[in-house]
Amino acid sequence: MHALIIDDSRAMRMILRRILDELGIGATEAAHGAEALGLLSAGLHPDLCLVDWNMPVMDGCTFVSEVRKVREWRDITLMMVTTESEHSQIVRALAAGAHEYVIKPFTADAIQDKLELLGLVEAGVLS
Amino acid sequence: MSAEQVAAAANPRADDVRTLTHQVWTTYLGERVPLLFVEDNTFVPDWSASVTIRGAWDGMVSLETTRAGAQGLTRALLGLDADADDLADSDLVDAVGELVNMLGGNVKGLVPGPSRLSLPLVAAGRFAHGSQQARVVRLCSSWAGEPLDVTVHAGRAKATREHR
Repeated sequence: MHALIIDDSRAMRMILRRILDELGIGATEAAHGAEALGLLSAGLHPDLCLVDWNMPVMDGCTFVSEVRKVREWRDITLMMVTTESEHSQIVRALAAGAHEYVIKPFTADAIQDKLELLGLVEAGVLS
Repeated sequence: MSAEQVAAAANPRADDVRTLTHQVWTTYLGERVPLLFVEDNTFVPDWSASVTIRGAWDGMVSLETTRAGAQGLTRALLGLDADADDLADSDLVDAVGELVNMLGGNVKGLVPGPSRLSLPLVAAGRFAHGSQQARVVRLCSSWAGEPLDVTVHAGRAKATREHR
């Protein structure tokens, strides 16, 4: 399994990469939505994208909408990982095509729980 | 309840900001080095970071600390050794900016919406707030022996009391 981590913070990308490493998931990183779209257009086809909301150049919700327009990318699981906790924002992201939503600060267990719900990892990988 | 009291009630409470700050610190920086809340801090910040919230509630959340404080936070967030000495200013900007982004995002969840959260602004020295804003929460703390202040400012019409 391979993931694409999309966050403008290098520190946050490292934190997520560490968690994915422990789950046995390899990862590529992008600093904003436009860079991530470029990677997908160039042929990267991750199973999972972890997407921040507030980023320069292209925000995460726009990225989700753009990905959902492309038939070949419809099997990619999109999970928002963001500080945006307003109910209306969560609804907007899910309506745009995100599968799951995690609010920062998150723990490794929270990420694992969501990935279990999505059927991407088996229970008990992190212990 | 008067209109002034209603407006004041929209501002975040110090206890809630303290709780979310503690949550961010323990989640990402661990519990080995605790964040200690103190009565007051007197220091000249070397680094400051802020995010603004605009919408049904207007305000700003800021984080101020010393250079050593910013370096310690960055090392901890990046999982580097305490004596790692290869931090660039861009690393400090990234780490301190992400911390204030999480604080701001969670404060946004405490105040009336809908509203928009800005990207973090990180600068050397003390942060500047708008003249039309007033401080409504100030949390003074110490982390790894370095002072660290978290402050919430709100638009003056909405800021009628300060929580400490």
